[in-house]
Amino acid sequence: MNEMEDIMNSSSAPASSAWSRFAALTRHAFKMEFRQKNGLAGLILFSIAAVYTCYQVTGSRADAEAWNALAWVVLLFSAFNAVAKSWPEDAPEMRAYLVHVVRPQEWVLARITFFSLLLCGMSSIVFMAFILFLGTEHLNGMQAVYFFMGMLVTSVALASLLAMIQALAVRANGGFGLIAVLGLPLIIPVILIATRYGMDILHGISFADTAHNLLFLGTLSGGFGALGFILFPYLWSD
Amino acid sequence: MAHNIWKIGGFILIACVLVLVFAVPMGPGLLELRGTGDTAMSNDLDRKMPEYLLTGFGTHWSENPQDLQVLVRSKANLARLEVIDVLDDTHARIGLTLPYSVPSKSWDVLTNHSVDGTLLLENGLFLSDRFIDESIILSDIDIEEFEADLPFHFPYQPRILESIRNLMLHVPMWFTMFVLMGIAFVASIKQLASARATAEDEKAESAVRVGLLFGILGLVTGSVWARFTWGAWWVDDPQLNGALVTVLVYSGYMVLRNSLESAALRARLSAVYNLFAFVILIILLMVLPRFTESLHPGKGGNPGFNSYDLDSALRAAFYPAVIGWILIGLWMHRINMRITRLNKKLK
Repeated sequence: MNEMEDIMNSSSAPASSAWSRFAALTRHAFKMEFRQKNGLAGLILFSIAAVYTCYQVTGSRADAEAWNALAWVVLLFSAFNAVAKSWPEDAPEMRAYLVHVVRPQEWVLARITFFSLLLCGMSSIVFMAFILFLGTEHLNGMQAVYFFMGMLVTSVALASLLAMIQALAVRANGGFGLIAVLGLPLIIPVILIATRYGMDILHGISFADTAHNLLFLGTLSGGFGALGFILFPYLWSD
Repeated sequence: MAHNIWKIGGFILIACVLVLVFAVPMGPGLLELRGTGDTAMSNDLDRKMPEYLLTGFGTHWSENPQDLQVLVRSKANLARLEVIDVLDDTHARIGLTLPYSVPSKSWDVLTNHSVDGTLLLENGLFLSDRFIDESIILSDIDIEEFEADLPFHFPYQPRILESIRNLMLHVPMWFTMFVLMGIAFVASIKQLASARATAEDEKAESAVRVGLLFGILGLVTGSVWARFTWGAWWVDDPQLNGALVTVLVYSGYMVLRNSLESAALRARLSAVYNLFAFVILIILLMVLPRFTESLHPGKGGNPGFNSYDLDSALRAAFYPAVIGWILIGLWMHRINMRITRLNKKLK
Protein backbone atom coordinates (compact mmCIF):
# COMPACT_ATOMS: atom_id res chain seq x y z
CA MET A 1 0.00 0.00 0.00
CA ASN A 2 2.98 2.29 -0.56
CA GLU A 3 1.20 4.06 -3.37
CA MET A 4 -1.55 5.34 -1.10
CA GLU A 5 0.95 6.74 1.36
CA ASP A 6 2.71 8.31 -1.59
CA ILE A 7 -0.41 10.22 -2.46
CA MET A 8 -1.02 11.53 0.98
CA ASN A 9 2.61 12.21 1.91
CA SER A 10 3.53 13.95 -1.29
CA SER A 11 1.28 16.90 -0.49
CA SER A 12 2.85 19.43 1.78
CA ALA A 13 -0.21 19.67 4.04
CA PRO A 14 -1.85 16.25 3.88
CA ALA A 15 -5.47 16.33 2.68
CA SER A 16 -5.74 19.93 3.72
CA SER A 17 -7.32 21.71 0.77
CA ALA A 18 -8.90 20.74 -2.53
CA TRP A 19 -6.02 22.35 -4.39
CA SER A 20 -3.31 20.44 -2.54
CA ARG A 21 -5.15 17.15 -2.99
CA PHE A 22 -5.53 17.90 -6.71
CA ALA A 23 -1.83 18.75 -6.99
CA ALA A 24 -0.85 15.62 -5.06
CA LEU A 25 -2.98 13.40 -7.29
CA THR A 26 -1.53 14.93 -10.48
CA ARG A 27 2.02 14.65 -9.19
CA HIS A 28 1.37 11.08 -8.14
CA ALA A 29 -0.01 10.16 -11.58
CA PHE A 30 3.19 11.42 -13.19
CA LYS A 31 5.33 9.65 -10.64
CA MET A 32 3.59 6.36 -11.40
CA GLU A 33 3.89 6.94 -15.14
CA PHE A 34 7.62 7.69 -14.99
CA ARG A 35 8.22 4.80 -12.62
CA GLN A 36 7.04 2.43 -15.36
CA LYS A 37 9.73 3.39 -17.84
CA ASN A 38 9.01 0.59 -20.31
CA GLY A 39 5.37 1.66 -20.61
CA LEU A 40 6.36 5.23 -21.44
CA ALA A 41 9.04 4.06 -23.84
CA GLY A 42 6.45 1.87 -25.53
CA LEU A 43 4.20 4.89 -26.13
CA ILE A 44 7.02 6.92 -27.64
CA LEU A 45 8.12 4.00 -29.78
CA PHE A 46 4.53 3.52 -31.03
CA SER A 47 4.27 7.16 -32.09
CA ILE A 48 7.64 7.23 -33.83
CA ALA A 49 6.97 3.91 -35.55
CA ALA A 50 3.57 5.18 -36.70
CA VAL A 51 5.13 8.34 -38.17
CA TYR A 52 7.84 6.25 -39.81
CA THR A 53 5.16 4.01 -41.34
CA CYS A 54 3.46 7.12 -42.74
CA TYR A 55 6.78 8.24 -44.16
CA GLN A 56 7.27 4.87 -45.84
CA VAL A 57 3.75 4.48 -47.23
CA THR A 58 3.69 7.99 -48.68
CA GLY A 59 7.15 7.49 -50.17
CA SER A 60 8.23 10.72 -48.44
CA ARG A 61 6.20 12.69 -51.00
CA ALA A 62 3.17 13.59 -48.87
CA ASP A 63 1.33 16.66 -50.20
CA ALA A 64 -0.21 19.17 -47.80
CA GLU A 65 -3.54 17.31 -47.54
CA ALA A 66 -1.89 13.96 -46.80
CA TRP A 67 0.59 15.58 -44.39
CA ASN A 68 -2.26 17.14 -42.45
CA ALA A 69 -4.45 14.03 -42.42
CA LEU A 70 -1.62 11.74 -41.34
CA ALA A 71 -0.51 14.12 -38.58
CA TRP A 72 -3.96 14.17 -36.96
CA VAL A 73 -4.57 10.45 -37.40
CA VAL A 74 -1.23 9.59 -35.81
CA LEU A 75 -1.94 12.03 -32.97
CA LEU A 76 -5.39 10.46 -32.47
CA PHE A 77 -4.08 6.91 -32.30
CA SER A 78 -1.13 7.90 -30.13
CA ALA A 79 -3.61 9.51 -27.74
CA PHE A 80 -5.76 6.38 -27.63
CA ASN A 81 -2.66 4.26 -27.13
CA ALA A 82 -1.51 6.51 -24.29
CA VAL A 83 -4.76 6.43 -22.31
CA ALA A 84 -6.20 3.03 -23.19
CA LYS A 85 -4.97 1.10 -20.20
CA SER A 86 -5.79 0.88 -16.55
CA TRP A 87 -3.47 2.55 -14.08
CA PRO A 88 -2.74 1.08 -10.63
CA GLU A 89 -5.06 3.76 -9.16
CA ASP A 90 -7.92 2.36 -11.22
CA ALA A 91 -7.92 -0.92 -9.32
CA PRO A 92 -11.13 -1.46 -7.30
CA GLU A 93 -9.34 -1.62 -3.95
CA MET A 94 -7.48 1.63 -4.71
CA ARG A 95 -10.77 3.30 -5.57
CA ALA A 96 -12.31 1.98 -2.38
CA TYR A 97 -9.54 3.74 -0.48
CA LEU A 98 -9.41 6.91 -2.54
CA VAL A 99 -13.13 7.68 -2.17
CA HIS A 100 -12.45 8.29 1.52
CA VAL A 101 -9.54 10.67 1.11
CA VAL A 102 -10.22 12.69 -2.05
CA ARG A 103 -13.34 14.05 -3.72
CA PRO A 104 -14.19 12.58 -7.12
CA GLN A 105 -14.07 16.05 -8.69
CA GLU A 106 -10.48 16.49 -7.54
CA TRP A 107 -9.67 13.08 -8.91
CA VAL A 108 -11.18 13.72 -12.36
CA LEU A 109 -9.54 17.14 -12.66
CA ALA A 110 -6.20 15.59 -11.74
CA ARG A 111 -6.81 12.88 -14.33
CA ILE A 112 -7.67 15.43 -17.04
CA THR A 113 -4.59 17.47 -16.17
CA PHE A 114 -2.40 14.38 -16.24
CA PHE A 115 -3.85 13.25 -19.59
CA SER A 116 -3.52 16.75 -21.04
CA LEU A 117 0.15 17.01 -20.14
CA LEU A 118 0.81 13.42 -21.25
CA LEU A 119 -0.89 14.01 -24.61
CA CYS A 120 0.87 17.35 -25.06
CA GLY A 121 4.11 15.42 -24.61
CA MET A 122 2.93 12.80 -27.09
CA SER A 123 1.99 15.45 -29.64
CA SER A 124 5.40 17.09 -29.26
CA ILE A 125 7.00 13.74 -30.07
CA VAL A 126 4.62 13.16 -33.00
CA PHE A 127 5.26 16.67 -34.33
CA MET A 128 9.04 16.35 -34.09
CA ALA A 129 8.94 12.93 -35.73
CA PHE A 130 6.79 14.37 -38.53
CA ILE A 131 9.26 17.18 -39.12
CA LEU A 132 12.14 14.72 -39.04
CA PHE A 133 10.65 12.16 -41.44
CA LEU A 134 8.04 13.93 -43.56
CA GLY A 135 9.80 17.26 -43.80
CA THR A 136 8.70 20.84 -43.34
CA GLU A 137 8.10 21.81 -46.96
CA HIS A 138 4.46 22.62 -46.17
CA LEU A 139 5.26 24.48 -42.94
CA ASN A 140 7.10 27.77 -43.30
CA GLY A 141 8.15 29.93 -40.37
CA MET A 142 5.23 30.74 -38.13
CA GLN A 143 3.04 28.09 -39.76
CA ALA A 144 4.93 25.40 -37.82
CA VAL A 145 4.32 27.25 -34.55
CA TYR A 146 0.60 27.63 -35.26
CA PHE A 147 0.29 23.98 -36.32
CA PHE A 148 2.00 22.81 -33.15
CA MET A 149 -0.23 25.11 -31.11
CA GLY A 150 -3.24 23.44 -32.73
CA MET A 151 -1.84 20.04 -31.76
CA LEU A 152 -1.49 21.14 -28.13
CA VAL A 153 -5.06 22.51 -27.96
CA THR A 154 -6.33 19.31 -29.59
CA SER A 155 -4.41 17.28 -27.03
CA VAL A 156 -6.24 19.06 -24.21
CA ALA A 157 -9.61 18.45 -25.93
CA LEU A 158 -8.77 14.76 -26.45
CA ALA A 159 -7.62 14.46 -22.84
CA SER A 160 -10.76 16.03 -21.37
CA LEU A 161 -13.00 13.57 -23.22
CA LEU A 162 -10.79 10.47 -22.98
CA ALA A 163 -10.39 10.88 -19.21
CA MET A 164 -14.12 10.19 -18.83
CA ILE A 165 -14.20 7.44 -21.46
CA GLN A 166 -11.21 5.70 -19.87
CA ALA A 167 -12.88 5.85 -16.45
CA LEU A 168 -16.10 4.46 -17.96
CA ALA A 169 -14.29 1.59 -19.67
CA VAL A 170 -12.36 0.75 -16.49
CA ARG A 171 -15.60 0.66 -14.49
CA ALA A 172 -17.17 -1.59 -17.16
CA ASN A 173 -14.13 -3.91 -17.01
CA GLY A 174 -13.65 -3.39 -20.72
CA GLY A 175 -10.27 -3.20 -22.35
CA PHE A 176 -8.88 -1.27 -25.29
CA GLY A 177 -11.79 -2.41 -27.46
CA LEU A 178 -14.41 -0.72 -25.30
CA ILE A 179 -12.42 2.54 -25.14
CA ALA A 180 -12.19 2.54 -28.94
CA VAL A 181 -15.89 1.74 -29.46
CA LEU A 182 -17.01 4.40 -26.98
CA GLY A 183 -14.31 6.98 -27.61
CA LEU A 184 -13.74 7.06 -31.38
CA PRO A 185 -17.22 8.21 -32.43
CA LEU A 186 -17.33 10.78 -29.62
CA ILE A 187 -13.92 12.17 -30.56
CA ILE A 188 -14.75 12.70 -34.25
CA PRO A 189 -15.99 16.32 -33.85
CA VAL A 190 -12.68 17.25 -32.19
CA ILE A 191 -10.66 15.65 -34.98
CA LEU A 192 -12.84 17.25 -37.68
CA ILE A 193 -12.25 20.73 -36.27
CA ALA A 194 -8.54 20.04 -35.73
CA THR A 195 -8.15 18.79 -39.31
CA ARG A 196 -9.86 21.88 -40.68
CA TYR A 197 -7.60 24.11 -38.59
CA GLY A 198 -4.48 22.27 -39.75
CA MET A 199 -5.57 22.46 -43.38
CA ASP A 200 -6.17 26.22 -43.06
CA ILE A 201 -2.70 26.69 -41.58
CA LEU A 202 -1.04 24.54 -44.28
CA HIS A 203 -2.92 26.44 -47.00
CA GLY A 204 -1.41 29.66 -45.71
CA ILE A 205 -4.58 31.17 -44.29
CA SER A 206 -3.68 33.73 -41.66
CA PHE A 207 -3.89 32.63 -38.05
CA ALA A 208 -6.46 35.31 -37.22
CA ASP A 209 -8.84 33.90 -39.83
CA THR A 210 -8.74 30.33 -38.53
CA ALA A 211 -8.26 30.98 -34.80
CA HIS A 212 -11.99 30.47 -34.26
CA ASN A 213 -11.34 26.73 -34.74
CA LEU A 214 -8.97 26.79 -31.76
CA LEU A 215 -11.56 28.70 -29.77
CA PHE A 216 -14.11 26.05 -30.71
CA LEU A 217 -11.73 23.29 -29.56
CA GLY A 218 -11.18 25.18 -26.31
CA THR A 219 -14.94 25.43 -25.80
CA LEU A 220 -15.30 21.70 -26.46
CA SER A 221 -12.58 20.88 -23.90
CA GLY A 222 -14.30 23.15 -21.41
CA GLY A 223 -17.63 21.43 -22.09
CA PHE A 224 -16.21 17.93 -21.80
CA GLY A 225 -14.31 18.94 -18.66
CA ALA A 226 -17.47 20.38 -17.10
CA LEU A 227 -19.47 17.25 -17.99
CA GLY A 228 -16.73 15.09 -16.47
CA PHE A 229 -16.67 17.27 -13.36
CA ILE A 230 -20.43 16.89 -12.91
CA LEU A 231 -20.76 13.23 -13.91
CA PHE A 232 -17.61 11.62 -12.56
CA PRO A 233 -18.98 11.23 -8.99
CA TYR A 234 -21.66 8.89 -10.42
CA LEU A 235 -18.97 6.78 -12.06
CA TRP A 236 -16.88 6.54 -8.98
CA SER A 237 -19.38 5.68 -6.28
CA ASP A 238 -20.63 2.15 -5.72
CA MET B 1 -59.54 4.71 -24.49
CA ALA B 2 -59.03 8.38 -23.65
CA HIS B 3 -55.38 7.99 -22.75
CA ASN B 4 -54.71 6.04 -25.94
CA ILE B 5 -56.15 8.72 -28.20
CA TRP B 6 -52.67 9.95 -29.21
CA LYS B 7 -51.74 6.49 -30.50
CA ILE B 8 -54.84 6.37 -32.68
CA GLY B 9 -54.15 9.94 -33.77
CA GLY B 10 -50.58 9.09 -34.76
CA PHE B 11 -51.73 6.02 -36.65
CA ILE B 12 -54.40 7.95 -38.57
CA LEU B 13 -51.97 10.78 -39.33
CA ILE B 14 -49.36 8.39 -40.74
CA ALA B 15 -52.00 6.53 -42.75
CA CYS B 16 -53.22 9.82 -44.26
CA VAL B 17 -49.67 11.02 -44.91
CA LEU B 18 -48.69 7.77 -46.65
CA VAL B 19 -51.76 8.08 -48.89
CA LEU B 20 -50.85 11.72 -49.61
CA VAL B 21 -47.19 10.86 -50.27
CA PHE B 22 -47.97 8.28 -52.91
CA ALA B 23 -51.27 9.59 -54.33
CA VAL B 24 -50.86 13.36 -54.71
CA PRO B 25 -49.81 14.24 -58.27
CA MET B 26 -46.80 16.37 -59.10
CA GLY B 27 -47.16 19.88 -60.46
CA PRO B 28 -45.94 20.55 -63.99
CA GLY B 29 -42.44 21.76 -64.85
CA LEU B 30 -39.90 21.97 -67.64
CA LEU B 31 -37.09 19.41 -67.78
CA GLU B 32 -34.92 20.52 -70.71
CA LEU B 33 -34.69 22.17 -74.10
CA ARG B 34 -32.21 20.27 -76.24
CA GLY B 35 -31.13 20.75 -79.83
CA THR B 36 -31.94 17.81 -82.11
CA GLY B 37 -29.37 18.71 -84.76
CA ASP B 38 -32.10 18.97 -87.43
CA THR B 39 -33.41 22.09 -89.06
CA ALA B 40 -37.01 22.92 -89.92
CA MET B 41 -38.70 25.41 -92.19
CA SER B 42 -40.28 28.30 -90.32
CA ASN B 43 -43.78 29.33 -91.29
CA ASP B 44 -43.43 32.91 -90.06
CA LEU B 45 -39.89 33.82 -91.06
CA ASP B 46 -39.73 31.86 -94.32
CA ARG B 47 -36.26 30.52 -93.58
CA LYS B 48 -34.66 27.46 -92.00
CA MET B 49 -34.25 27.35 -88.25
CA PRO B 50 -32.55 24.92 -85.82
CA GLU B 51 -34.91 22.42 -84.28
CA TYR B 52 -35.08 21.81 -80.53
CA LEU B 53 -36.94 19.27 -78.43
CA LEU B 54 -38.65 20.67 -75.33
CA THR B 55 -39.30 18.12 -72.59
CA GLY B 56 -41.82 18.87 -69.90
CA PHE B 57 -42.58 17.08 -66.63
CA GLY B 58 -46.21 16.37 -65.80
CA THR B 59 -47.43 18.85 -68.41
CA HIS B 60 -50.65 18.59 -70.44
CA TRP B 61 -49.66 19.98 -73.83
CA SER B 62 -51.71 17.56 -75.93
CA GLU B 63 -54.93 18.78 -74.31
CA ASN B 64 -54.81 22.19 -75.99
CA PRO B 65 -51.77 22.01 -78.32
CA GLN B 66 -52.54 25.30 -79.99
CA ASP B 67 -52.28 27.09 -76.60
CA LEU B 68 -48.62 26.22 -76.02
CA GLN B 69 -46.39 29.28 -76.23
CA VAL B 70 -42.62 28.97 -75.79
CA LEU B 71 -40.52 32.03 -75.00
CA VAL B 72 -36.96 32.75 -73.99
CA ARG B 73 -35.93 35.51 -71.65
CA SER B 74 -32.64 37.09 -70.73
CA LYS B 75 -32.80 40.14 -68.46
CA ALA B 76 -35.17 42.52 -70.24
CA ASN B 77 -35.10 40.66 -73.53
CA LEU B 78 -38.01 38.43 -74.40
CA ALA B 79 -38.42 36.47 -77.63
CA ARG B 80 -40.92 33.96 -78.88
CA LEU B 81 -39.89 30.55 -80.23
CA GLU B 82 -41.95 28.71 -82.82
CA VAL B 83 -43.83 25.57 -81.78
CA ILE B 84 -43.54 23.20 -84.77
CA ASP B 85 -45.75 20.53 -83.30
CA VAL B 86 -46.72 18.97 -80.00
CA LEU B 87 -45.67 15.29 -79.91
CA ASP B 88 -47.40 14.31 -76.69
CA ASP B 89 -48.17 15.70 -73.23
CA THR B 90 -44.53 16.23 -72.35
CA HIS B 91 -42.68 16.59 -75.68
CA ALA B 92 -42.83 19.36 -78.28
CA ARG B 93 -40.69 20.23 -81.28
CA ILE B 94 -39.56 23.84 -81.09
CA GLY B 95 -37.93 25.99 -83.73
CA LEU B 96 -35.27 28.48 -82.65
CA THR B 97 -36.28 31.72 -84.35
CA LEU B 98 -33.68 33.96 -82.70
CA PRO B 99 -31.49 36.04 -85.04
CA TYR B 100 -27.77 35.29 -85.47
CA SER B 101 -26.81 38.25 -83.27
CA VAL B 102 -28.27 37.90 -79.78
CA PRO B 103 -27.82 40.02 -76.66
CA SER B 104 -26.90 37.08 -74.39
CA LYS B 105 -25.68 33.49 -74.44
CA SER B 106 -27.75 32.15 -71.60
CA TRP B 107 -31.54 32.28 -71.65
CA ASP B 108 -34.36 31.25 -69.36
CA VAL B 109 -37.09 29.27 -71.08
CA LEU B 110 -40.75 30.04 -70.36
CA THR B 111 -43.88 28.28 -71.49
CA ASN B 112 -47.44 29.44 -71.30
CA HIS B 113 -50.22 26.92 -71.54
CA SER B 114 -53.88 27.10 -70.66
CA VAL B 115 -53.75 24.04 -68.37
CA ASP B 116 -50.26 24.26 -66.84
CA GLY B 117 -49.94 28.03 -66.46
CA THR B 118 -46.57 29.73 -66.82
CA LEU B 119 -43.58 27.44 -66.32
CA LEU B 120 -39.94 28.50 -66.07
CA LEU B 121 -36.71 26.63 -66.83
CA GLU B 122 -33.81 28.74 -65.60
CA ASN B 123 -30.83 28.87 -67.98
CA GLY B 124 -32.57 26.30 -70.14
CA LEU B 125 -31.11 27.56 -73.41
CA PHE B 126 -27.43 28.14 -73.99
CA LEU B 127 -26.34 29.54 -77.36
CA SER B 128 -22.64 28.90 -77.85
CA ASP B 129 -22.37 29.57 -81.58
CA ARG B 130 -24.10 32.97 -81.82
CA PHE B 131 -22.69 36.46 -82.09
CA ILE B 132 -23.16 38.34 -78.83
CA ASP B 133 -24.09 42.00 -79.07
CA GLU B 134 -25.41 43.37 -75.79
CA SER B 135 -26.87 46.45 -77.43
CA ILE B 136 -29.54 44.39 -79.18
CA ILE B 137 -32.94 44.61 -77.54
CA LEU B 138 -35.51 41.89 -78.19
CA SER B 139 -38.67 42.70 -76.31
CA ASP B 140 -41.42 43.49 -78.70
CA ILE B 141 -43.86 41.01 -77.18
CA ASP B 142 -45.76 40.76 -73.94
CA ILE B 143 -46.27 37.64 -71.88
CA GLU B 144 -49.15 37.20 -69.53
CA GLU B 145 -47.82 35.08 -66.66
CA PHE B 146 -50.44 33.21 -64.69
CA GLU B 147 -50.75 30.45 -62.12
CA ALA B 148 -52.59 27.37 -63.32
CA ASP B 149 -55.64 26.27 -61.40
CA LEU B 150 -54.51 22.68 -60.87
CA PRO B 151 -55.90 20.23 -58.28
CA PHE B 152 -53.91 19.56 -55.05
CA HIS B 153 -50.32 18.77 -56.11
CA PHE B 154 -46.73 18.85 -54.88
CA PRO B 155 -44.58 21.57 -56.43
CA TYR B 156 -42.17 20.78 -59.22
CA GLN B 157 -38.54 21.35 -58.25
CA PRO B 158 -35.68 20.98 -60.72
CA ARG B 159 -33.56 17.83 -60.13
CA ILE B 160 -35.66 16.76 -57.12
CA LEU B 161 -38.76 15.95 -59.21
CA GLU B 162 -40.83 13.06 -57.78
CA SER B 163 -38.37 12.49 -54.95
CA ILE B 164 -39.88 15.49 -53.15
CA ARG B 165 -42.28 12.90 -51.70
CA ASN B 166 -39.34 11.67 -49.64
CA LEU B 167 -39.57 14.92 -47.63
CA MET B 168 -42.45 13.37 -45.69
CA LEU B 169 -40.38 10.24 -44.90
CA HIS B 170 -36.76 11.38 -44.56
CA VAL B 171 -37.01 14.57 -42.50
CA PRO B 172 -39.50 13.30 -39.85
CA MET B 173 -37.15 10.34 -39.16
CA TRP B 174 -34.57 12.79 -37.79
CA PHE B 175 -37.19 14.83 -35.93
CA THR B 176 -38.39 11.61 -34.28
CA MET B 177 -34.84 10.55 -33.47
CA PHE B 178 -34.20 13.94 -31.86
CA VAL B 179 -37.33 13.62 -29.72
CA LEU B 180 -36.47 10.05 -28.64
CA MET B 181 -32.85 10.90 -27.85
CA GLY B 182 -34.14 13.90 -25.91
CA ILE B 183 -36.38 11.56 -23.90
CA ALA B 184 -33.38 9.29 -23.29
CA PHE B 185 -31.34 12.33 -22.20
CA VAL B 186 -33.96 13.42 -19.64
CA ALA B 187 -34.42 9.83 -18.44
CA SER B 188 -30.65 9.48 -17.96
CA ILE B 189 -30.52 12.63 -15.83
CA LYS B 190 -33.41 11.29 -13.72
CA GLN B 191 -31.62 7.92 -13.50
CA LEU B 192 -28.50 9.58 -12.07
CA ALA B 193 -30.68 11.37 -9.52
CA SER B 194 -32.38 8.17 -8.36
CA ALA B 195 -30.35 5.85 -6.20
CA ARG B 196 -31.30 2.21 -6.75
CA ALA B 197 -34.34 1.98 -9.03
CA THR B 198 -33.60 1.34 -12.71
CA ALA B 199 -36.99 2.35 -14.16
CA GLU B 200 -35.58 5.47 -15.83
CA ASP B 201 -32.70 3.43 -17.22
CA GLU B 202 -35.15 1.10 -18.98
CA LYS B 203 -36.90 4.16 -20.38
CA ALA B 204 -33.62 5.57 -21.68
CA GLU B 205 -32.60 2.24 -23.17
CA SER B 206 -35.80 1.71 -25.14
CA ALA B 207 -35.81 5.35 -26.27
CA VAL B 208 -32.27 4.99 -27.60
CA ARG B 209 -33.13 1.67 -29.24
CA VAL B 210 -36.15 3.09 -31.09
CA GLY B 211 -34.25 6.32 -31.79
CA LEU B 212 -31.42 4.32 -33.37
CA LEU B 213 -33.96 2.57 -35.59
CA PHE B 214 -35.28 5.95 -36.75
CA GLY B 215 -31.72 7.19 -37.25
CA ILE B 216 -30.89 4.21 -39.45
CA LEU B 217 -34.14 4.72 -41.40
CA GLY B 218 -33.16 8.39 -41.79
CA LEU B 219 -29.78 7.35 -43.19
CA VAL B 220 -31.41 4.89 -45.61
CA THR B 221 -34.07 7.32 -46.87
CA GLY B 222 -31.41 10.02 -47.12
CA SER B 223 -29.11 7.73 -49.05
CA VAL B 224 -31.83 6.92 -51.57
CA TRP B 225 -32.54 10.63 -51.95
CA ALA B 226 -28.84 11.47 -52.34
CA ARG B 227 -28.58 8.85 -55.09
CA PHE B 228 -31.42 10.51 -57.00
CA THR B 229 -30.49 14.17 -56.58
CA TRP B 230 -26.71 14.15 -56.10
CA GLY B 231 -25.89 10.97 -58.03
CA ALA B 232 -24.22 8.99 -55.25
CA TRP B 233 -25.43 6.82 -52.38
CA TRP B 234 -23.14 8.68 -50.01
CA VAL B 235 -21.38 12.03 -50.36
CA ASP B 236 -18.75 13.59 -48.12
CA ASP B 237 -20.84 16.21 -46.38
CA PRO B 238 -20.79 17.49 -42.78
CA GLN B 239 -24.50 16.86 -42.27
CA LEU B 240 -24.30 13.27 -43.54
CA ASN B 241 -21.13 12.49 -41.62
CA GLY B 242 -22.65 13.99 -38.48
CA ALA B 243 -25.71 11.77 -38.87
CA LEU B 244 -23.61 8.64 -39.35
CA VAL B 245 -21.36 9.43 -36.38
CA THR B 246 -24.44 10.05 -34.22
CA VAL B 247 -25.69 6.57 -35.09
CA LEU B 248 -22.22 5.18 -34.23
CA VAL B 249 -22.18 7.01 -30.89
CA TYR B 250 -25.54 5.54 -29.90
CA SER B 251 -24.44 2.10 -31.12
CA GLY B 252 -21.57 2.56 -28.65
CA TYR B 253 -24.23 3.12 -25.97
CA MET B 254 -25.79 -0.26 -26.80
CA VAL B 255 -22.33 -1.93 -26.74
CA LEU B 256 -21.61 -0.39 -23.34
CA ARG B 257 -24.94 -1.70 -21.98
CA ASN B 258 -24.25 -5.20 -23.22
CA SER B 259 -20.80 -5.29 -21.63
CA LEU B 260 -22.16 -4.67 -18.11
CA GLU B 261 -23.66 -7.36 -15.89
CA SER B 262 -24.84 -5.56 -12.76
CA ALA B 263 -28.13 -3.71 -13.36
CA ALA B 264 -27.38 -0.83 -10.97
CA LEU B 265 -23.90 -0.19 -12.39
CA ARG B 266 -25.20 -0.53 -15.94
CA ALA B 267 -27.91 2.03 -15.24
CA ARG B 268 -25.39 4.52 -13.87
CA LEU B 269 -22.59 4.07 -16.44
CA SER B 270 -24.87 4.07 -19.46
CA ALA B 271 -26.64 7.18 -18.14
CA VAL B 272 -23.28 8.95 -17.90
CA TYR B 273 -22.34 7.91 -21.45
CA ASN B 274 -25.77 8.90 -22.74
CA LEU B 275 -25.32 12.47 -21.50
CA PHE B 276 -22.04 12.69 -23.45
CA ALA B 277 -23.74 11.15 -26.48
CA PHE B 278 -26.53 13.73 -26.48
CA VAL B 279 -24.07 16.63 -26.23
CA ILE B 280 -22.16 15.18 -29.20
CA LEU B 281 -25.44 14.77 -31.10
CA ILE B 282 -26.19 18.47 -30.64
CA ILE B 283 -22.65 19.43 -31.72
CA LEU B 284 -22.63 17.11 -34.75
CA LEU B 285 -26.10 17.82 -36.13
CA MET B 286 -26.88 21.35 -34.94
CA VAL B 287 -23.55 23.19 -34.57
CA LEU B 288 -20.87 21.80 -36.91
CA PRO B 289 -22.88 21.77 -40.19
CA ARG B 290 -23.59 25.46 -39.77
CA PHE B 291 -19.88 26.24 -39.86
CA THR B 292 -19.17 24.47 -43.14
CA GLU B 293 -20.32 24.42 -46.72
CA SER B 294 -22.87 21.71 -47.24
CA LEU B 295 -24.89 20.27 -50.07
CA HIS B 296 -27.63 19.40 -47.64
CA PRO B 297 -30.63 21.77 -47.64
CA GLY B 298 -31.01 24.12 -44.72
CA LYS B 299 -27.32 24.16 -43.79
CA GLY B 300 -24.22 26.18 -44.62
CA GLY B 301 -25.67 29.01 -46.69
CA ASN B 302 -27.88 26.71 -48.74
CA PRO B 303 -31.36 28.21 -48.96
CA GLY B 304 -32.75 24.70 -48.62
CA PHE B 305 -36.42 24.14 -48.24
CA ASN B 306 -37.41 27.74 -47.62
CA SER B 307 -39.26 27.87 -50.92
CA TYR B 308 -41.03 24.60 -50.09
CA ASP B 309 -42.04 25.83 -46.67
CA LEU B 310 -44.11 28.46 -48.38
CA ASP B 311 -45.89 25.91 -50.50
CA SER B 312 -49.23 25.09 -48.93
CA ALA B 313 -49.49 21.56 -50.40
CA LEU B 314 -46.14 20.47 -48.96
CA ARG B 315 -46.91 22.08 -45.66
CA ALA B 316 -50.25 20.28 -45.50
CA ALA B 317 -48.45 16.93 -45.84
CA PHE B 318 -45.18 17.69 -44.04
CA TYR B 319 -46.44 18.92 -40.67
CA PRO B 320 -48.86 16.00 -40.16
CA ALA B 321 -46.04 13.66 -41.21
CA VAL B 322 -43.72 15.10 -38.54
CA ILE B 323 -46.35 14.90 -35.82
CA GLY B 324 -47.49 11.44 -36.96
CA TRP B 325 -44.00 9.93 -37.07
CA ILE B 326 -43.16 11.38 -33.66
CA LEU B 327 -46.33 9.88 -32.18
CA ILE B 328 -45.56 6.50 -33.80
CA GLY B 329 -42.00 6.72 -32.44
CA LEU B 330 -43.31 7.44 -28.94
CA TRP B 331 -45.72 4.53 -29.21
CA MET B 332 -42.92 2.18 -30.30
CA HIS B 333 -40.85 3.48 -27.38
CA ARG B 334 -43.66 2.72 -24.94
CA ILE B 335 -44.14 -0.81 -26.29
CA ASN B 336 -40.41 -1.47 -26.25
CA MET B 337 -40.14 -0.25 -22.67
CA ARG B 338 -42.98 -2.53 -21.56
CA ILE B 339 -41.38 -5.53 -23.27
CA THR B 340 -38.10 -4.76 -21.47
CA ARG B 341 -39.87 -4.57 -18.11
CA LEU B 342 -41.86 -7.75 -18.70
CA ASN B 343 -38.69 -9.61 -19.70
CA LYS B 344 -37.07 -8.43 -16.50
CA LYS B 345 -40.02 -9.67 -14.46
CA LEU B 346 -39.89 -13.07 -16.18
CA LYS B 347 -36.25 -13.59 -15.25
